[in-house]
Amino acid sequence: MRSGSDTRWLRLGVLLVAVALALSFPSMAPSPYEITVGIAILNYAVLSTSWNFVGGFTGYISLGHGAFAGLGAYGTGLLVTKAELPPFAALFAAAAVVAALAVPVGYAALRVRGASFVIVSIALVLILLLVFQSWASLTGGSRGLVVPRPFPGMLRSEHHRTFYFLFLALLAVALLVWWVIDRSRFGMGLKAIREDEDKAQSLGTPTFTYKLVVFVVSATFTALAGGLYALWFGDLDPVFQFSILSGAYMVLMALLGGVRNLYGPLLGALVVGYALEYAKVEFGDTPLHLVVAGLLLGVVVTFMPDGVIPAATALLGRFRRTGETSIREVTAAELRERREENDTTEVSSERSST
Amino acid sequence: MPSASLVFQSVVLGVLLGGLYALLAAGLTLYFGVMRVVMIAHSAFLILAAYLAWYAHREIGVDPLLTLFVTVPLFFAAGVVMQRLLLTRLRPATLTMMSVLLTFSVALVIEGLLGYAFSGTQRRIRLGYSSASIEFFGARIAVVKLIAFGMAALALLGLYVLMKRSRFGQALRATIQHPDAARLLGIDTDRIAGYGFGLGLATAAVGGTALSLDTTIYPSLHWHWIGPLMAIIVVGGLGSVPGAAIAAMTLGMLQSLLQLELSTTWAQTVFYVALFATLAVRPQGFFGGRLAQRF
Amino acid sequence: MSGAAPESEPEPSLATTGLTKAFGGVTALDSATVTFHHGKVNALIGPNGSGKTTFFNCVTGMIRPDSGRVTYRGRDLTGRPPHRIARAGLGRSFQLCRVFPRLTVLDNLLAAVRPRGLTGQLGRSGGREETERARYWLTRMGIEHLEHAEARQLSWGQQKLLELAGVLMSEPELILLDEPAGGVNPALIDRICDLVRELNAEGRTFLIVEHNMDMVMSLSDHVVVFDRGRPIAQGPPSVIQSDERVLGAYLGV
Repeated sequence: MRSGSDTRWLRLGVLLVAVALALSFPSMAPSPYEITVGIAILNYAVLSTSWNFVGGFTGYISLGHGAFAGLGAYGTGLLVTKAELPPFAALFAAAAVVAALAVPVGYAALRVRGASFVIVSIALVLILLLVFQSWASLTGGSRGLVVPRPFPGMLRSEHHRTFYFLFLALLAVALLVWWVIDRSRFGMGLKAIREDEDKAQSLGTPTFTYKLVVFVVSATFTALAGGLYALWFGDLDPVFQFSILSGAYMVLMALLGGVRNLYGPLLGALVVGYALEYAKVEFGDTPLHLVVAGLLLGVVVTFMPDGVIPAATALLGRFRRTGETSIREVTAAELRERREENDTTEVSSERSST
Repeated sequence: MPSASLVFQSVVLGVLLGGLYALLAAGLTLYFGVMRVVMIAHSAFLILAAYLAWYAHREIGVDPLLTLFVTVPLFFAAGVVMQRLLLTRLRPATLTMMSVLLTFSVALVIEGLLGYAFSGTQRRIRLGYSSASIEFFGARIAVVKLIAFGMAALALLGLYVLMKRSRFGQALRATIQHPDAARLLGIDTDRIAGYGFGLGLATAAVGGTALSLDTTIYPSLHWHWIGPLMAIIVVGGLGSVPGAAIAAMTLGMLQSLLQLELSTTWAQTVFYVALFATLAVRPQGFFGGRLAQRF
Repeated sequence: MSGAAPESEPEPSLATTGLTKAFGGVTALDSATVTFHHGKVNALIGPNGSGKTTFFNCVTGMIRPDSGRVTYRGRDLTGRPPHRIARAGLGRSFQLCRVFPRLTVLDNLLAAVRPRGLTGQLGRSGGREETERARYWLTRMGIEHLEHAEARQLSWGQQKLLELAGVLMSEPELILLDEPAGGVNPALIDRICDLVRELNAEGRTFLIVEHNMDMVMSLSDHVVVFDRGRPIAQGPPSVIQSDERVLGAYLGV
């Protein structure tokens, strides 16, 4: 599946158009409201891309990434209000704290495989929700925490516009880092872990260290997104910051778009993020959004665990009849058939060579 | 320092609570045993059963305990269906991860539907014997708590007898311990796994009814249960029913004792502290659990 | 075993002393003391359940032994994690052949590259030197034309060859093969035997766990027979073939 030079140009063209659109969106938006929708979607995009550092490369599904976003948000907010740090210094300091915290969490979560990781990731959100609700003297508890605006005196629309570009920049950095890892030897080791962890380790990959490093990277980006959100939104509530649902949305977006693809989570965030914002306006906040999110997640997991991008590619491939190179699932029967075919060709080539 | 009688009261309450934890953790262990599935929706079904008990009581005025005759078979069937129709569809290679997502989505759907049908209002069953309590060596124990514990204990005992004494239990244990060998012995492991799943869900039905007797319920309550339950099965060693029971009792008691000094929410963190400590120090759990090694 | 070995004595490669591992009440390895020979093709045989696989997993770090020591050319490897053991020069295959199913054939080999330092880690995977080395091994296995196929699309035999290529890519001195002939057609068995001979002639040591006696006897220089978790006989194939105890172990006497 080498991409020919023409598809590479096509990709570059699409990328340039997308960047141009993203950059010009605020000036085209009819009202500040659209910009806030744009910010919300960008926030989702950063979050799901950050999640995908762990989910996409290693195949470990974290349902608790909301915890890192919440910690980033509260860390930033508390450093601004209690330690009186300048807002953006607080943002980076909070991200550094979260990174440091992700080390022991990752240590506990990643030593054993699969199941324990998921359990820890969920437990992390639940414990932090308890702590941040109970420790009202520090966090304000359920009354919430108000974070002062980083640019006092700025007009509301200008505030949104600025944050739109800040989120866009953060997304660009996250995508860039993902891309660098994707093509690196480190990334190859991570993908090997996703495919077969024992095998990767037996080939000399220090799997635990690799997983831990990428987990910390993922947590850091998630915390940056959370912190930036705190500075933009200005009001934090533990119930929303440490919600198991926000972690689930990250998973849904990344899976929907496709976790093996650089732009997969971004695409998923566009779709799901827009749908969420639309539903909020159209239907208000009913418990049915849980049902919809649940059904959607269930459908994606059951029918297209590789996401829409690969599913669409496979569909295209079927049209083009490229056959073997498409990423579609092969049934056991087909596989056996093919194996037999190959075996016979193998033997015959064997005979002709000897 | 709290008085000795207060401590004793807490210990008794802890044991009563631990019994319920043990039953529910046994259910989680069953799912994990038969299919290596971490069933996030377990506690959502628990709350669903509690809601059904509450609803039946409100609408037709029956004693919540009677709903067991409906919910237990219903949940058993739901478990079999869920295993056959949903979980077997997943690719074996990514089963553990994807099943978490799938059961998580089931939990979301249940929570959402409960919220839609009954609103987010807190509900509680008022029974004739709700406020009755008995004296037990100076500790005052609510009758409903005793009933709840009795149900959990009976269900656990039944589960134990079923697992140890019946042919089905033998097949179930074989499937859990060594699926390949079980298949060689002619056991239909897929079907057994389905029944195992049904049994697990039946524990949620019993637990939910017990819960409805003395607890205020609301749709998102299940998150407060799944966390401690997952902590229990990890501390006990994934896949070990006795391990889960011991861990449930120990942690339930600790939680109850900590409530003497701390608020309810802080006391609940004991489960998570135990979870992290276990994974950092002894990832295979403290009470056996051969399965846990590679998970 | 200590002091200067006489000229005829082969240099020890992988060696264990008193290696013991029990699962519950079952003793899979019972104080096994074995020495394999450096530069040779070694074979480990024994009836089912004799502890071969447990031995394999203990020396490669997949399982931690209860007691005993594992050394490689005098270096203690006991209880080291698998990647450390791999980095000490031991490469292994798995009983049921394991490749990275959804990576391409080429990437399967590139995943075996061990980068050094931060720049090595973050440097682009599949640079010229790596790719050339990977293609070299693929060509030797005769699967170079499948470079861009996903590993799961390969036939069983091709996957076996791919696995071996991956192990070789990690540049091991000692190659441990777990049932290389398992489920493979006769033509491919011959091919694998040829490869083992060639690679051995190039200086690589082999340790092969195998049920196919023809293969073991024709290929190996040194055979160790396991029964009930410990070695009961060792020596050249000709000696092993006429050993009463070996026959007894296989017949269950």
